[in-house]
Amino acid sequence: MSSDLEGVREVLRVAELTKNYGGLKAMDSISFAVNRGEVMALVGDNGAGKSTLVKALSGAQPPDSGQILINGQPIELRSPRDADDAGIGCIHQSLGLVDALNVPENVFLGRELQRKRFGFLPELDHASMRAKTVELLERFGVNVSSLNKPVVKLSGGQRQSIAISRLLLQDVSLVIMDEPMAALGVDEGQRVMDLVSTMRDEGISIFIISHNLEHVFQIADRIAVLKNGRLVDVVETATTSRDAVIKMITFGSAN
Amino acid sequence: MATNVKSSTPANNVGHADRHWLLQSVGLTAVVIVLAVIFTIINPRFATLANLANVMTQASHYIIIAVAMTFVITSAGIDLSVGSVLALVTVIGFAFIKSGMNPALAVAIMFALGAVIGAFTGTLIALVKIPPFIATLGMMVSLRGLALLHSAGTMHFGLPETLTWLGQGKVFGVPVPVIIAMTVAVVGAWLFNHTKFGLYVRAIGGNREAARLAGVPVNLIEILVYSLMGLVTAIGGLVMIARIDSTQATIGTSIEIHIIAAVIIGGTSLFGGRGTIYGTVLGAVLLSMMTNALVIAGVDNFWQLVIMGIVVLLAVAINNLRENRIPVFSSLMRRSR
Ligand SMILES: Nc1ncnc2c1ncn2[C@@H]1O[C@H](COP(=O)(O)OP(=O)(O)OP(=O)(O)O)[C@@H](O)[C@H]1O
Ligand SMILES: [Mg+2]
Repeated sequence: MSSDLEGVREVLRVAELTKNYGGLKAMDSISFAVNRGEVMALVGDNGAGKSTLVKALSGAQPPDSGQILINGQPIELRSPRDADDAGIGCIHQSLGLVDALNVPENVFLGRELQRKRFGFLPELDHASMRAKTVELLERFGVNVSSLNKPVVKLSGGQRQSIAISRLLLQDVSLVIMDEPMAALGVDEGQRVMDLVSTMRDEGISIFIISHNLEHVFQIADRIAVLKNGRLVDVVETATTSRDAVIKMITFGSAN
Repeated sequence: MATNVKSSTPANNVGHADRHWLLQSVGLTAVVIVLAVIFTIINPRFATLANLANVMTQASHYIIIAVAMTFVITSAGIDLSVGSVLALVTVIGFAFIKSGMNPALAVAIMFALGAVIGAFTGTLIALVKIPPFIATLGMMVSLRGLALLHSAGTMHFGLPETLTWLGQGKVFGVPVPVIIAMTVAVVGAWLFNHTKFGLYVRAIGGNREAARLAGVPVNLIEILVYSLMGLVTAIGGLVMIARIDSTQATIGTSIEIHIIAAVIIGGTSLFGGRGTIYGTVLGAVLLSMMTNALVIAGVDNFWQLVIMGIVVLLAVAINNLRENRIPVFSSLMRRSR
């Protein structure tokens, strides 16, 4: 990261983000900020608008109105490429893997390594992508029996690791994860949590969605609560009780 | 924590290849050889060198067009309009040549026309969101209409020798169309397995939304896939008319069934995401062998059509079976284990 940005405290700020699906307000004028180096959790009931917010921040589905600022600069995220270029890495709820492709192809999809055949014909550098993939997965201590298998044959945890590996290829300052622990076993879930800590220690800001409040209280510095497309509040984990958060999720207020 | 990331042999680093796919290619190769032996036992005339060269020559334009169709089907699409594209492009090209145009220029126009038609079809699919089946069905009918408007009832013939050589010539005893077909197959396999374009085609066919989220320009790739289909159909058409030294507005009618069958028999998934160029080439050769054997055996033309249709349906059924798409069979298979 360039040093002149170190002075900017907020890695992300959103202002009055709104998204309508027909008559339904999936996001209703949402405003908040994520600070540099912090882990912020986003919680809320099913249908609260969490994934809609993630899609707006990843360029997958632009909002109807509102503003997004990265490192203090207003930016328009019209496509996943734009988010990529802005240093936002994202893992979507559906993981975004292509079942039919193998492990390195999934890890490198969208940012392939290439070489020149006969000195001029660009072609995929399968060998380098394989080697780099092995390196990335080893860094997580992930077991993947065969890199050549289409990823449809891998377990939930293995698929999750591949989705996360993708992020590490990118120069990210903010990582957004939409329920990365869902459908994982206890051990695998804990491993993802460890990974989040590692990324935070490397100075990456994390915006993580989870239904698991135990995880949220373990990892997050602050918690944003969403209900029916509206931001209820943003609270400090250290000074908030789990009951208060549950009340906010269910009733839209802590009392 | 224990790491166990097996690095397999470098020979194994073909983009999508895993053992299953390799086995399947070996299996298909075996089927082709066994069939050839059976045909020879039934009728020794099949195995003559002249006849085998004939089979390969007849297969060449199918191989060429089926290579491009492999990309289309792997992208989770289909193109029913190849026969009509072939007809329109060849009647127009032929008419230009007969009117005294430089043959090289006429061929360039044919190729460009094929690519432009394909880009138009691709645009209908990628941007106007018309399902591939319907979009190409519409193109199939309209383009056939245009070909008929251009030269209904006219049989074009009499190409210059430079062009008939493409269909009838030989280099070191190998028919030129076979050389062209093999070149298209090798370039196609490289594109498919070793380039960004090929990877994106497989990614789109496997999971369009995931590919989009990963930053793949999905619409552009889809348009390019159909452009490639159009261009390569023009190449296949050129080879075909050069071989028979003639064309007419009805040429290539129901060729699409033959092409799609070759791709599916070859092992490319009808559901997108996975395909194999090598398999497609074998599939096309297999079909030509079958047609040739039926002709030698004196089977009626109409019966050949019936058999071809059944072969296609069988190939798709086997494809589904292989991918566990048929609930009854997959539960039976599970139980029998
Ligand atoms: N593409 C869409 N078209 C129409 N409505 C949609 C669409 N996507 C989401 N919605 C609606 O918008 C609301 C918010 O959905 P969203 O997916 O953001 O919820 P969520 O908080 O992520 O829920 P979950 O915890 O179940 O993942 C829901 O009512 C949902 O039905
Ligand atoms: Mg969601």
